[in-house]
Amino acid sequence: MAVAETVAEAVAKTIRLDDITQVFPGRLGTKVVAVDHVSFELKSDTPRIASLVGASGSGKSTIARILLGLQRPTSGQVTYQGKDVGSLSRSEYTTYRRDVQPVFQDPYAIFNPFYRVDRIFWKAIRNFKLAHGRAAGMNKIEESLEAVRLRPGEVLGRYAHQLSGGQRQRLMLARVHMLQPSFVIADEPVSMLDAQVRRHFLDIMIDFQQTYGMTTLFITHDLSTVAYVGGDMMTIYKGQIVEQGTVKEVMTHPSHAYTKLLIDSVPTPDPNDRWKTRVELKDGVPRIVPIET
Amino acid sequence: MKPIRALGRRLRGNVRLTVGLVLLFIIVVIGALHGVIIDAIGKGQDPTAIGFGQRWLQPSPQHLLGTDQVGRDVMAMVVAGLWTSLKIGALGGALSTIIGIVVAFFAAYRGGWLDSLLATTTDLFLVIPTLPLLIAYSGFASHISLFQVSVILAVFSWAGASRTIRSHVLSLRTRSYVDLAKISKESDVKIVLFELVPNMLPYIALGLALAVINTIFALVGLELIGLGPSGIQDLGLLINSSVQNGALSLGAWPMFVAPIVLLTAIFFALNLINVGLDEAFNPRLRKVAGA
Repeated sequence: MAVAETVAEAVAKTIRLDDITQVFPGRLGTKVVAVDHVSFELKSDTPRIASLVGASGSGKSTIARILLGLQRPTSGQVTYQGKDVGSLSRSEYTTYRRDVQPVFQDPYAIFNPFYRVDRIFWKAIRNFKLAHGRAAGMNKIEESLEAVRLRPGEVLGRYAHQLSGGQRQRLMLARVHMLQPSFVIADEPVSMLDAQVRRHFLDIMIDFQQTYGMTTLFITHDLSTVAYVGGDMMTIYKGQIVEQGTVKEVMTHPSHAYTKLLIDSVPTPDPNDRWKTRVELKDGVPRIVPIET
Repeated sequence: MKPIRALGRRLRGNVRLTVGLVLLFIIVVIGALHGVIIDAIGKGQDPTAIGFGQRWLQPSPQHLLGTDQVGRDVMAMVVAGLWTSLKIGALGGALSTIIGIVVAFFAAYRGGWLDSLLATTTDLFLVIPTLPLLIAYSGFASHISLFQVSVILAVFSWAGASRTIRSHVLSLRTRSYVDLAKISKESDVKIVLFELVPNMLPYIALGLALAVINTIFALVGLELIGLGPSGIQDLGLLINSSVQNGALSLGAWPMFVAPIVLLTAIFFALNLINVGLDEAFNPRLRKVAGA
């Protein structure tokens, strides 16, 4: 019932990065270009999971922060529903805030250690007026916890350090479930989880996309999880998106050397099949070279 | 409010914090009751008036701590001095902590040029040699009030705490829970007050306790070398007067020992509170220390 409602009321939403560049000051007056003229668009009318794949330091997380409005890009425009995020009206800003929600990498750091974990739900309920009164709010929280297969009695009223990593990350998903955003920006959400919990988490994420029509930007360095969730993928290398397509296409016919390397880097459970190549940079162009022994 | 209830919950079972708070409470009560104690000693007369009793009396039921070089009751002098020292400590400590916190939060949370400006100012204040300045100042100022003394001491002592707090805010403000609060449309003021400040409480309390100690001892130091502002009779002046008049060699040891014991007790209590608060607010320490 609740599901039917959300799908019915869903209007096509768009969030768009337009020629985004982010420069950070480096050491001794140098400049670090974290994101280099990146443009892409996420649309909610055809909910999909788009994976953004790249190495550490390639600018993935900066893109996530820019999309979430936590970081103002050096140049370029972030538009939500065609309007610049910086110049939204009060009510438009509220909609944007609610409509683009994160799942962060470190499931411990998202909880203020001073408070019980319940607080992240109540804050959302209060600031986005999701429910009136304590009982209604509690209903909503419990409903969302059940949607991510958490037992309310086991997690509510506790502090983050008393819960497991999987529980903490699923609490974050429960918050997403409660807010029902059109876009979920998941920045390395499973890199700190063990294999079994990881799969569990990805299943919930896929379920959210299919059941509630949430378009998800799944940021990761791990191609095996990308293959698992499917959908589209983009490869980011040194702040630039170098390859774009459906996961199937890119995985079978990677065109950029870096994507090829990434695909080769997925470990196979075979001790006789060790990595025999490594990436080398020559004039900013990555090349695959054999490892000398 | 929730933080206060949380504080109450964490007080239980925290020996250091409890002992520190009880000790401080006792000291403050003694100080606050100085009027009553002085009345009880004086029995209608002013026991701190010159010639109240004979000179250099040994401790006796009438004069529990004896009398000084002009016949004033030492017990009465000590409790009056204690109250003055406490008032200066509280006032100066609070003022310097408030300045420190405000500067630190503005600098670190806003960032950018404001941070550079405020951080430089903080560093400047940190390297100003306080004691010579205070000595020079007390040479000029003849009659300054308790409040003025507190302000002067505060102006020179906020920088240390401010620097510590700033660096913690710099690290705390990049935490994911601050990002999450922003995404949950929480206002900056609320983020500072409810996300950052609670996590800063041990450092703020530490800053406050240190500032109180610093303020009290800065004045004691000035008084001891005979350069304290006139008209303010704190524990330091009492120690100075006992040294000046050779109280120890005349057997009037309480005049020397009582202020020192009280100052040590204040120091001890505030430090216990410091350590105890850290235990109470640091959830990881709590797990270990809670047993």
